[in-house]
Amino acid sequence: MALLEVHDLHAGYGKMEILHGITLKVEPGQIVSIIGPNGAGKSTVFKSIFGLLPVRQGRVLFAGEEVTNRSPEALLRQGMTFVPQGRNVFPLMTVEENLLLGAYIRKRSPELLEEVQRVYETFPILREKRTARAGDLSGGQQQMLEMGRSLLLQPKLILLDEPTLGLAPLVFKEIFRIIEGLRQRGQTILMVEQNAAKALEISDYAYVLELGKNRYEGSGEAIRNDERVKRLYLGR
Amino acid sequence: MTDVFQLLVAGLSIGSIYAMAAIGFVLLWQTSNTINFAQGEFVVLPAFVMVLFLTVFRFPFAAAFVATVIVSTLLLGLLVKKVLVERLLKMGVLPLVIATIGLSMLIRYSLQQFWTPLALPFPAIFSRQPIRVGGVIFSSEEVMNVLSAAIVIGTLQLLIRRTKLGWAMQAVAQNRDLASVLGINVSRLVGVTFMLNAALTAVAAVLIAPVYLVKYDIGIGIGLKAFYAAIIGGFNQIRGALLGGLLVGLVETYSAAYISNQFRDAFALVILIGVLLLKPEGLLGIKEEWA
Repeated sequence: MALLEVHDLHAGYGKMEILHGITLKVEPGQIVSIIGPNGAGKSTVFKSIFGLLPVRQGRVLFAGEEVTNRSPEALLRQGMTFVPQGRNVFPLMTVEENLLLGAYIRKRSPELLEEVQRVYETFPILREKRTARAGDLSGGQQQMLEMGRSLLLQPKLILLDEPTLGLAPLVFKEIFRIIEGLRQRGQTILMVEQNAAKALEISDYAYVLELGKNRYEGSGEAIRNDERVKRLYLGR
Repeated sequence: MTDVFQLLVAGLSIGSIYAMAAIGFVLLWQTSNTINFAQGEFVVLPAFVMVLFLTVFRFPFAAAFVATVIVSTLLLGLLVKKVLVERLLKMGVLPLVIATIGLSMLIRYSLQQFWTPLALPFPAIFSRQPIRVGGVIFSSEEVMNVLSAAIVIGTLQLLIRRTKLGWAMQAVAQNRDLASVLGINVSRLVGVTFMLNAALTAVAAVLIAPVYLVKYDIGIGIGLKAFYAAIIGGFNQIRGALLGGLLVGLVETYSAAYISNQFRDAFALVILIGVLLLKPEGLLGIKEEWA
């Protein structure tokens, strides 16, 4: 059974419909990428899956359960977390406070504090900076904080929106290494990424969207070598 | 020389009341990006409610106080949030700000029309027995005002720093979209903030009523001075609003005593303009470049 199934998803803002029937599937343990040009509706897919934008038509199934238009809080409880695009931290709070807010929906417990320690093992720099203000971290460190925060609830699925946007090349290599490391631990990830070629390298499966519709799909490898995709989106 | 100290306590006393209203401004601004121009009336209405409980229902003082805080929290917190904020905030900040100006007039002139245009006396809460320290005589009422405000503000700070609710308030203030992604119900939190603000202004009401008497139009001055205080101290910092409130109270008291009583309200404005020119984010405010 697929972990996440999206069928014929329609969503938009006001009178404008952005998604005209998106369909996709994520199997447990996979990294699945959504690629496509600007305006394809990639981030909109995430917002409507995660209950931040109403789904007008279509269904979202998570772990076999219908979750269409559930609130973020309900989805977090069911094991889905979302790392939105752009640097998203609480700048005046400390790194550790930021992390703990990732588990806002849960009660403060010894298990939770253990989970924080586990995140520190994955991202040692966060332990080092744990009393620093999150706003004073570098872009790459903030991205690590965001990913660490999303791991705190031990989610079944992470929605990762543009994790390397605006990061220096050296830093984004590091972020990709971390994403691969998470997959090795069995973490399922659905990711939107601007660096399509790089994302496809580590993806088990990929969907290419165009103007709010499915265009192509296939294994990461197949999409990466697809001549049409190369010409259109990979700039080669 | 002794009057310098007496005026210090008097200034801190009135200043701590401004500070409470100013902190309310900051809380509302932080969680809902709203400037509540009815803040002055949010202090006046509970004062009238307190008079109602004391003189009409003949409640004992403590019961009347608790009842006033509850009524204020429900009326000026929950009801205002449900009726005004929830509907208007969707359309942006400006419609709501204008609505609060309307609300201030509605409260002010309803009190005048349907209750009384006259000033109502208010019983002293604390003994007016002067306290003598060395050669200086303090009014115990003023000392108690400062202490009460300190307790209320200290409790509020603990709530914000140490509780989950407080963390959620900080989170919403610093990154609203992210807060909802993490499962924080922003709308409910805005409601809680309005209720906290109303509780805060109710306490301010009960402390200021014996000083100013209870009259329908005293909210204009209180609201304005709390607004100055929040700007002077920094609109995004609670300790800024605290400092601003105390400063406005002190400046007003000293300038009335030593310079001109008629111009007492002007001196806080001078400070306000000076701060806006030299440090526009406020004395303890933080520039919101990350916003």
